[in-house]
Amino acid sequence: MAKQSASTHLKTTNYLITLRKITQSLALIVFLALMIETAIDRAPHDLTNIPIRLSPLAMLASLISSRTFLSGMTISLILLLSSLLVGRAWCGWICPMGTVLDIFRFQKSKSGRKLPENFRAIKYGLLIVLLFSVIFSNLTLLVFDPLTILTRTMTLSILPVIDQVITAIEKTLINVPFLTGAIYQFDLWIRPAILPIEPAVFQYTILNGFFFIGIILLNLLAERFWCRYLCPLGALLGLVSRLSLVKRNVKDTCIQCHLCELHCPTGTINPQKKFTSDPAECTLCLNCLKDCQKNSLSFSPSLSLAPRSDYDPGRRTVLNAFLVSLSLTALLSIEWIKRYPRRHALRPPGADGEKLTSTCTRCGLCMKVCPTGALQVNLVESGIEAAGTPVFVPRLGFCQYSCNACGQICPVGAIPALELKEKQTKIIGKAYIDHDRCIAWSDHQTCIVCEEMCPLPNKAISLESGEFSSPTGDTMTISLPVVNREVCIGCGICENKCPVAGEAAIRVYTF
Amino acid sequence: MKKVSRRDFLHLMGVGIGGVTAAQLISGCETDYPSPTINPEPSLTPLQPQPTSTPTPSPQSTNTQQPTPPEYPYLVVTHGEDPEQHIRQGIKALGGMERFMKSGADVIIKPNICVPYHSYEYAATTNPWIVGALVKVCLEAGAKRVRVMDFPFGGSAKDSYRKSGIEEQVNAAGGEMEIMTTLKYREYDIPNAVSLQKTSVYEEILKADLLIDVPIAKNHGLAILTLGLKNLMGTILDRGAIHNDFENRLVDLATLVRPHLTVIDAMRTLMANGPTGGNLSDVKIQNTVIFSHDTVTADSFATSLFGLLPQQLGYLVNAANRGLGRLDYQNVKIEEFNING
Repeated sequence: MAKQSASTHLKTTNYLITLRKITQSLALIVFLALMIETAIDRAPHDLTNIPIRLSPLAMLASLISSRTFLSGMTISLILLLSSLLVGRAWCGWICPMGTVLDIFRFQKSKSGRKLPENFRAIKYGLLIVLLFSVIFSNLTLLVFDPLTILTRTMTLSILPVIDQVITAIEKTLINVPFLTGAIYQFDLWIRPAILPIEPAVFQYTILNGFFFIGIILLNLLAERFWCRYLCPLGALLGLVSRLSLVKRNVKDTCIQCHLCELHCPTGTINPQKKFTSDPAECTLCLNCLKDCQKNSLSFSPSLSLAPRSDYDPGRRTVLNAFLVSLSLTALLSIEWIKRYPRRHALRPPGADGEKLTSTCTRCGLCMKVCPTGALQVNLVESGIEAAGTPVFVPRLGFCQYSCNACGQICPVGAIPALELKEKQTKIIGKAYIDHDRCIAWSDHQTCIVCEEMCPLPNKAISLESGEFSSPTGDTMTISLPVVNREVCIGCGICENKCPVAGEAAIRVYTF
Repeated sequence: MKKVSRRDFLHLMGVGIGGVTAAQLISGCETDYPSPTINPEPSLTPLQPQPTSTPTPSPQSTNTQQPTPPEYPYLVVTHGEDPEQHIRQGIKALGGMERFMKSGADVIIKPNICVPYHSYEYAATTNPWIVGALVKVCLEAGAKRVRVMDFPFGGSAKDSYRKSGIEEQVNAAGGEMEIMTTLKYREYDIPNAVSLQKTSVYEEILKADLLIDVPIAKNHGLAILTLGLKNLMGTILDRGAIHNDFENRLVDLATLVRPHLTVIDAMRTLMANGPTGGNLSDVKIQNTVIFSHDTVTADSFATSLFGLLPQQLGYLVNAANRGLGRLDYQNVKIEEFNING
C-alpha cells in the first residue's frame, strides 16, 4: 500500500516537474516572441513591453526615482503578490533568465567546492543600495535587473548576431544555383517577419554580449550562480518570500540521505538545519520531491515567517548600503558632462536628459523598436550615471518623421508617449553644416542630399546659389545647402544620408 | 547537458572552421561571378540616329531593333479625373498592353514611394489608383504575375507601401507588393559609362519581362524635377553615389535600367518642397497622365506641366545626347485627349 502511494507520489512529482519545464519553455518562447514583435507595425507596444512592466524592481525603482506613477506599472504587483503566495516560484518557473541559466547547466560534479553561504548577501546588498539610490533619483544599478538585462542583450547582441549569421549563410548559399530561389523565398519571409530589412548595428554589442556570457559562465562556479548570489530582483522577491504561504517542509521521516541537497539548483537545502531550506532562496523547482525516497518533503501552505539566515540583511547592512548609495550617487553625479553635454548626448524625441536618466529602466526596448537603429545604448558618453539609457546617434540612424514608437513602447514614460503630430514638432537638436567638408561648399560640386532628405513640409534646409570661379577661371554657379535653424527639429536624416565618407558634413548638435 | 569530450570539441571546431572557410571560398567566387547578360535595350525602344556614344547594344538587340510601327503614337497624354480610365484609355491608345508583353509575362511596376510621411494627396508618392489600374491591365493582358516595388529612403518599405495607399490598391487589383531586400541586389558593370562605372541593381528589375516606370511628377532640389529617369534611382542600392556628378551618373544608370514603358502620374503634381512634400498648398491638380515607351520623351513632355523646357534639365539633355530617347516631344507622333467617363 505504502509502495503504491510512493509510486503515485513519484508520478505526480514527475508530472509537476514536467509541467514546470513546459511552463519555463513556454515563458521563454513568449518572451522571445515578444522581443521579435517589438517593432513598428507589429504587436501593440503595450503588449511587447510587458516583460519589463512585470518587474517589480524596475517599476518600483522608476516610480520612486521619477516620482511619476503610470497605471501600466501595476502589472508588476502580480509578480510581487505571487511571491507572497508561492515564494520565488517566478524564478524557478517563469523567469526567462532563470530558464537560460537552467539550459546552460555545466555542473557535472555536485560535490566538491561549495561557495560560502554569505555570498548570498551580495544580492541583498545590491538591492538595498539600488533602492536607496533611487530615492536620490539614481537608477544606474537597474542595469542589473534580470529582465532589463535580457531585453537589452536580445536587442543589442543576440538578435543582431543572429541577423549577421543568417545574412552570411544566405549570401553564401545564394551562389549555389539550385538554392537561389529557395533562399530568396526564405529571405522574403524572414526579413519582415523576424529580422529588420537592413541589419541593425549597435555600439557595444560585444560588451553587452560579454556581460551576458559572463553571467552564464558564472554557472560554472555554481548552478544558477546569478539567481543565488547576484540577482537584485531575486533578492526583492526573496525578501517577500519569507512571508510566503507555500513553503517547503521537511517531515521527521527524513533519513538525511543528502540526495535532495545534491540536486538543489540554488543549493539552499542545508544539512546543518535538518535539510530545511530558505524560502527566500527556494525557487519551488520541485527537484527535491523527486529525489526524496521517503516521501518526507512537501510544499504546503503554512503561515509562518521564515527563520533568519546569517546572510539576511541586518541593520548594519542597511546602514552600510545607505552610505554606499549616498556616495555612489554623489560620485556618479560629479560628471563634467553636467557642465558641457557632448553632442552625443542627443536624446530620443521629446525626452529630457536628466528626466530620462532618472526614469529609464535601461531595458533597451526603444533601441529595439527604433526602425532606423538611431537609438543606441549609452555607456559613458552622456555620463556613467546614464549608463544603459538611450542616446540618439544620427550617423547610425535617423529619427523617422512618421514614427513615434520609442515613446509608445517606453514602459515608464522616460521617453514621453507623444502623438505623431506632436513628436514631429519636438526638437532633438539642430543641424549645422561643416563648410570644410561639405561637397557643395568646399569642393564646389553639386550635392543637395541633405535638402532632398529633409522631411519637413517647409524644408529646414534650403538651397542658395553661390558663385565660384573654377580652376579654368570660368564662373560657375553651385547650389549650396543652408540650414534654417528656426525650423530644424534635428531628426538627423541629413547627417545620416550625407554622402561624405566618415563623419558627416552636416551634423546635429544639442541646442 | 551532454558532456563534450575533447575529441568532440576538436571535431566541432574543425567542422566550424571548415564551414567558415568553405563559406568564404564560395562567397569569394562572387567577385568572379559573371554579370548576367542583360539586354541593355528594350526591344521596342527605337533609338534615334545612333551617336557613337550609344551604350553598346548587344548583337541580339540590333536584330530586334525596328522602328515603331507607324500606327502607334510615340507619346500619349490623357486628361481627366478617373485614374483607372486614364490607364485604360491611355494604354489602349498606345496600342494596348499586349504591345508590351506576352501572355505569361513577369511584370514589375516601379512607382515612386519615397517616404512614408504623407498620404497620396500630398503628391510625394505615385497615385495608388494609377498603379492599381496598371496592375489590372497587365493581368488582363495575361501577365503571370505583377509585382510593385520601390526602395524608400525615409522609412521602411512596409510603412511606405501602406501610407501611400499603393499597397491597398495593388492587393485589390491582384498584384503583389515586394519588399526590396539587399540580398537581391547584384553589382553590374555599366559599359560606356561616363561616370558611374558600376552599381548594384535589384536583379529582378533587370530580369523582368516588362518593367513599367510609374513616377509622380514633382519638384526636386537637385534634379529640378523628378520624373521617369530620376525614378530609376529607386532600383539601386547606393543612391549616395549618384548625387555626385548627378547629371552624368543618372544617365549612366539609365543606360542599364531601361523601362519598357513609362507612365508619368501628373494627376497631382508637387510644385515645391519636393521630393518629400507635406504642404497641400504645394500641390497642383493637373489631372494628366503621360505614356510613352521612351522615358526621355515622356519626361520632356512633363516639363511643360511645370512651365519648364526639357533643355533646362541637364540629365534629360545628356540622356538625349547619348541616344536614350528624344527631347523634342513636339516632333513625335503624339495623341492627346480627354478621357471619357
